[in-house]
Amino acid sequence: MVINAKFLNWLVTAFFAVIIAIVFQQIATSMTEQGIASGGPYNNGAAYPRSISIAIMILVAGQIFVDQFIASNAQKESNLHTIRDLRRPAMLLIIFAVYLGLLKFLGYHLTTTPLIFIIMLICGARSIIKLLFVAILVAFSFAFIFEEFLSVVLPGGIFSFNIPW
Amino acid sequence: MLLESLTAGFDLFFTPLAIGLTFIGILIGLLVGALPGLGPLMGIILLLPVAISLPPIAAMGFLIAIFVGGSCGGSISAILLRIPGTPLAAATLFDGYPMAQNGRASDAIGIAITSSAIGGLIGGIVLIIGSPILARFASGFAPPEYAMLAITGLFAIAIISGGSLFKGLTSGCLGLLLATIGTDEFSTGYRFTFDSYHMLNGFHIVAVVVGLFAVSEMALQIMGRDLLKIPDVKVARPGFRSIFLTLRHWKNLLRSSSIGVFFGALPGAGGVISSFTSYAIAKAWSKPEEKYGEGAEGGVVSVESANNATVGGTLVPTLALGIPGDASSAMLLGALLILGFIPGPILFEQQPEIVSGLFMVYMASNVFLLIAGLLVTPLFVYVLRIPKFYLIPIVLLLCSIGTFALQASVFDLMVMLGFGLVGILFRATNYPLSPIVIGLILGPVLENNLRRALLISQDGYWIFVERPVSAVLVTINIALVIGGIWYALRKMHIKRTGNDSGA
Repeated sequence: MVINAKFLNWLVTAFFAVIIAIVFQQIATSMTEQGIASGGPYNNGAAYPRSISIAIMILVAGQIFVDQFIASNAQKESNLHTIRDLRRPAMLLIIFAVYLGLLKFLGYHLTTTPLIFIIMLICGARSIIKLLFVAILVAFSFAFIFEEFLSVVLPGGIFSFNIPW
Repeated sequence: MLLESLTAGFDLFFTPLAIGLTFIGILIGLLVGALPGLGPLMGIILLLPVAISLPPIAAMGFLIAIFVGGSCGGSISAILLRIPGTPLAAATLFDGYPMAQNGRASDAIGIAITSSAIGGLIGGIVLIIGSPILARFASGFAPPEYAMLAITGLFAIAIISGGSLFKGLTSGCLGLLLATIGTDEFSTGYRFTFDSYHMLNGFHIVAVVVGLFAVSEMALQIMGRDLLKIPDVKVARPGFRSIFLTLRHWKNLLRSSSIGVFFGALPGAGGVISSFTSYAIAKAWSKPEEKYGEGAEGGVVSVESANNATVGGTLVPTLALGIPGDASSAMLLGALLILGFIPGPILFEQQPEIVSGLFMVYMASNVFLLIAGLLVTPLFVYVLRIPKFYLIPIVLLLCSIGTFALQASVFDLMVMLGFGLVGILFRATNYPLSPIVIGLILGPVLENNLRRALLISQDGYWIFVERPVSAVLVTINIALVIGGIWYALRKMHIKRTGNDSGA
């Protein structure tokens, strides 16, 4: 399966459509209930985001017009990517999302070394011992710098696993 | 007055922490500049969470030094690998790489570093002289002028940031919209908070920017086929002889630095435009025997002095008006805001010691760049040999710990990831990311001043044309839009003509 510029353009248009819909939905509900959706410049907190949303609507419509009627076919079909090309970034983002989700629960030390190790594997590196050494070294070095020098308390997780440097 | 503005920050700057961090910032800047795919903006973004926990001048010294070092570091990989570490150094390879091929890699790097430092110092002189004058002029500005100035800054960056005019402006508007999330300063109502206490102050700007730039960049980098490749780089050892080699081109140095400062002070223009322009002018003024494009020292001097002088130029409107010249200076402005200082005329009037401290860290950064750059370059050559598969997890780890450290909040991490996805989508569809940052920074300035202007106005929106400075800014804004449309149409016409003739 091939992902081309046309598909991506529709995706970004859908993104802006959702943003605009949220703005108008919030103005019609939450802001109206709070009494900040009308009145003069002092009380009306909705006028400015409404104007910006309308500007976005006009600009996105202008871009759609350009894409549909003015851009050349070469431009429309550019940025071709196969699903295979996107496998690595997708895996990276999934692993990163899982890491962020587990960070608070399992703590920094139990999640970070596996994260670094797995990302290097996704990149294609295969020398397991070396990767493990690098992952441990990087994770502990960062923990030391942030905790010792910058007084950041990294998440200890349910096991309260923090190293007293 | 000039001496006063310089001496006021002595005590703040002359501390081991501020001097040490400025020096470390230069090293980090050279590192992120030299590594292709990172660059000064990414360096500032990644280390912003670290900086904001420090005393103000030490923090700003650290970040400004990263900006200065990063603007120069790209030349190292351009000269040695023919891959500019940053777009700023793209024109450096025209002559820097041929110099390296002719066995003069050390001279090329030395000239690049010396030119960058001297260009930066010239930019610093303009910053020290120009920004107080601009701030004094702007002290008479009222809400209508500030609102129009914010629009000018946003328009300029959205239009010049590359790609489509519509896309640049849409990105800028998205930034403005994101800035409205949270508690409304006037009505004290909640906007787009969805009854979540995490959203009461909106998204943390660092989480948004780290996601947009760093996370999306790493997703892009991992698609490359060179992740395991160890670049073949020969060690270069530039010496202090490079200073004499550079000074032989003093006219070129002064001219290119002036071009750099000029473009830096214009919102949106930035280092890439200034470096290519100064290269073109230096080439046009050169003697035939200099052989530009085949390893001319003057080519390296022109590009590197211009792109570092741009840093000084871009800080002029950033400090004096609170209007950033590009995304990197927008992040510096954001850092100042987080540290509790509001750039603009009030900062010059009420906290001259901070302004003076900023001048000093900027000048010191360029001096450190010269010393550290010439002495430590062999180390950066070894860094260029680090394959990308080590760098990607390190950058992502820095993103996540840095963002978590802001408020010890997992919500910020999720915001970062969400904006990482938005960044990927925007990069894939050529929507520029810089206008989003500018929009985020200028959003509150624009909205607050727009509403204040309407509150004091007797004639609604006519207030913007009734006041002379505001009216001039309105005219500039209209001219920018018309110019942007004309440029976009012309570009489209050239593309279509090219395609037709190609077919």
